[in-house]
Amino acid sequence: MDRRMAVELTAAAPEQTRARYPDNSGYIERDGVRVYYEVYGSGEPTVLLLPTWSLFHSRHWKMQIPYLARHHRVVTFDGRGNGRSDRPREAAAYGEREFAADALAVMDATETERAVVVGFSAGGERGLLLAAEHPERVDGAAFIGPAFAGGGTPLPERTVFDFDTEYETHEGWAKHNRAYWLRDYRDWVEFFVSTIFTEPHSTKPIEDGVGWALETDAETLIATMDAPALTPEESQGLCRRVRCPVLVIFGEQDAITSVSRGAAFAEQTGGELVVLEGSGHAPHIRDPVKVNLLIREFLESVA
Amino acid sequence: MIVASPAREQTRARYPDEEGFVERDGMRIFWERYGEGEPTILFPPTWELVHSRCWKMQIPYFARHTRVVAFDPPGNGRSDRPRDAAAYERSQVAEYAVAVLDAARVERAIVVSWCDMGDSLILAAEHPERVSGLVFIAPSLPTREREVAEFPFDEELDTDEGWAKENRHYWLRDWPGYVEFFISQMFTEPHSTKQIEDCVGWGLETDAETLLLSFCGWDTKELDPETTVELCGRVRCPALVIHGTADELVEHERARGFASELGGAYVSLEGSGHGPHARDPVKINTLVREFTESLAPPEPKERRWTRALNRRKRALYISSPIGLGHAQRDAAIADELRKLHPDLEIDWLAQHPVTAVLEARGERIHPASAHLANESGHIESESAEHDLHCFQAIRRMDEILLANFMVFDDLVREEQYDLWIGDEAWELDYYLHENPELKRAAYVWLTDFVGWLPMPDGGEREAFLTSDYNAEMIEHIARFPRLRDRAVFVGNREDVVPDSFGAELPLIRDWTEQHFDFAGYVTGFDPTQLGDRAELGYGDEERVCIVTVGGSGVGEHLLRRVIESFPAAKERVPELRMIVVAGPRIDPASLPQHEGLELRAYVHDLYRHLAACDLAVVQGGLTTSMELTASRRPFLYFPLRHHFEQNFHVRHRLGRYGAGRAMDFETATPELIAEAIAQEIGREVDYRPVERDGAARAAALIGELL
Repeated sequence: MDRRMAVELTAAAPEQTRARYPDNSGYIERDGVRVYYEVYGSGEPTVLLLPTWSLFHSRHWKMQIPYLARHHRVVTFDGRGNGRSDRPREAAAYGEREFAADALAVMDATETERAVVVGFSAGGERGLLLAAEHPERVDGAAFIGPAFAGGGTPLPERTVFDFDTEYETHEGWAKHNRAYWLRDYRDWVEFFVSTIFTEPHSTKPIEDGVGWALETDAETLIATMDAPALTPEESQGLCRRVRCPVLVIFGEQDAITSVSRGAAFAEQTGGELVVLEGSGHAPHIRDPVKVNLLIREFLESVA
Repeated sequence: MIVASPAREQTRARYPDEEGFVERDGMRIFWERYGEGEPTILFPPTWELVHSRCWKMQIPYFARHTRVVAFDPPGNGRSDRPRDAAAYERSQVAEYAVAVLDAARVERAIVVSWCDMGDSLILAAEHPERVSGLVFIAPSLPTREREVAEFPFDEELDTDEGWAKENRHYWLRDWPGYVEFFISQMFTEPHSTKQIEDCVGWGLETDAETLLLSFCGWDTKELDPETTVELCGRVRCPALVIHGTADELVEHERARGFASELGGAYVSLEGSGHGPHARDPVKINTLVREFTESLAPPEPKERRWTRALNRRKRALYISSPIGLGHAQRDAAIADELRKLHPDLEIDWLAQHPVTAVLEARGERIHPASAHLANESGHIESESAEHDLHCFQAIRRMDEILLANFMVFDDLVREEQYDLWIGDEAWELDYYLHENPELKRAAYVWLTDFVGWLPMPDGGEREAFLTSDYNAEMIEHIARFPRLRDRAVFVGNREDVVPDSFGAELPLIRDWTEQHFDFAGYVTGFDPTQLGDRAELGYGDEERVCIVTVGGSGVGEHLLRRVIESFPAAKERVPELRMIVVAGPRIDPASLPQHEGLELRAYVHDLYRHLAACDLAVVQGGLTTSMELTASRRPFLYFPLRHHFEQNFHVRHRLGRYGAGRAMDFETATPELIAEAIAQEIGREVDYRPVERDGAARAAALIGELL
């Protein structure tokens, strides 16, 4: 099905009215890179909503923040490469450990001793690093459609094309390609964000997602792709070190990453797996009521 | 007001998997264990006025999930009644609890107590390694000096009114009088007749002399405030205190003060009395379950949730097993529903004998059905010679109904349905109205009679009880009209009895017309398609008389009586061919035999034989008699004694159709039966025709909700 955008979007679209604005915000700086954070509400435990891939910034948590902040203190930040954070151009700035270090720096800056971390997609490995290597700062970790290299199988359609080869075709996953990004970033964004939301009637989430993606650019995202990633063995080793409660939420219709990865992640961390039948890669945006309730239930079980 | 007598124990929803006695100083304490798994829940006794049956609404539910241990106090139930006051000390009862845990090989337990006067608190403080959590329902543990009782316990008083009954001399004079008074104070909620009767019954299993050994006013029974506070300070495990705001025995400040000394969570039940675990069992079970799960979260397992638009259309059909008639009509309605909604999936929550019919049709019986406590077995156990006190039998089924409601509630917490259909599913309708927040789907109620009616020989007491049950139902519907999305009467307006629900209550027919839709009668078959005698092996010259009492064992006496009439009937009707169908619960070999009489255990498609016979002899059940009416056969019917539905509701309906000849088992001698057979057999009837579209009409009413 062709899910491409029928509407004209520009990156300059003004941010829509929020249900809740931060009580406090600021920047941390590491190695000259400034990272923007926000703090909402009060109440234990603190929830740290982690950044995902720099394709999106922290507004992708907009369906969670107002609800969770009525009951808990919520901290979130724009991952480097998007939103109000800096967009360094060198790949090294986007290593997984850099994001984890940003998270710790934000926790320090906001005087957050401990938190329950919640990560979406690429936020999975960041959360895993924090939970495994900083158990004294993490009381629990919840993951939505987490990226995970340590188990499960990739989606077959994602093994056809690689990122660096130049192809004749630009259909489907052939767009997920360095050269194509530089040629038509916008077209790839529309394809990719549409693939995140496989659920019918997802026009608004797709529009939002495309808008956030257009706040960064191809060069920045290419830098994130060139950054050092966790190997499968590293991921597995980290899983073994996790001691806190873990919740993994996965949409069965996820077309970005395979549900088998989520199942492997839950198994290796000893966590609970919740499979959402009919949901895509980002149920926290498309099925926000269910995901909010699952997160709340998890927070209550941890505390 | 209350007839005070210890009653025969009613059928339990679940029986213990292990039981035994522990002995201390020559005294025996009776204990029971149910179910398996951790954590163990211990239900200790309260004041020896009652015994471990007071936990009957909890045990079957928790035992489905985990191990449950309960024991009787010294002085009641199956424990000994020692004559030594020391055996009744609070600290002694705590030691019995330890001994019971040892005997049941339980290391640690969550202790759930009712009106604890110290036993559970001492147990937790003195044996912290044995107690992992504490739930106190209406604890009677003072943390401040209690007020002096209005009447001195030991002195002779010049009045027996109210709390003056709590007096040594009155106890010895009129123990039942005190028990009735005290228990009535315990259940302040309206419509608590059954709970009161139960507790009074247990109170009469012991006596004043036994309770006097350790009671000389409450200050002699409960821990004193200093000890309570001191023990509270030593409790380290999580605790929950539950208290009803309408508790007349333990005031709010006392329970609240105790909870705060203990540092436990506090749940206040607005409008509940002193025994909410008996009167609001769904809520208490849910609260206790949440508490136990918070202490020991269940192993993580994969969970699934389906997006709304990805869900298939599903209905859960709860079909009452009391009488086989429901199975046939419910299957017919399900068929019609599928015609209207071909994409509809129907799961059945049902038990034997309904499941036998459903399985033969390839219907999907939900696996949770295996957890249902047996209702038809209970009904049979309540019957005597052609006698079934149907109203009392259903009242005495409260434990089974609640256990089965909890099975339903567990199921619908896990699985999504669009629609629940309850055909005389009393547990569903009653407990939904008692716990309206549990409704999660559209809900349809089906029934073929409205109104509990007293039997004349039940006197004033039974008239009071039936009208109290009717009043509660009327209040339920008036207060929560949103619960039943449809109420379907299986029949027509005129089939509703003209009686009143009771004193100062509306007429049943008026009220039913306002609150129900009418589907007409639902037969499970089309009577015009039946009745081929030759195919069934009946000759034209024969006069075929079929005698059947349905699937239960209640009918054996009627079979014997009719068999006895055979020679006289045969004499009057020489072409008579009498076929007696014993059914699954009666051994035909155990019945008397006459030459020419045919005795059969089972007849396949009995309804077809009934539709082709020249006469049927049956009980007064609605399904069989209406099948005969629909196929226009003459029949003799014998309503079961004390069965208000057969004696009033069915009889009224058959009268309207001009169908059948009602016989009285009491007065019907074999001679009279033979004469009736001779008069009725082969007679042309002029019954009012029975509609054939009842199932389709019912399905249309239900299908609008999908």
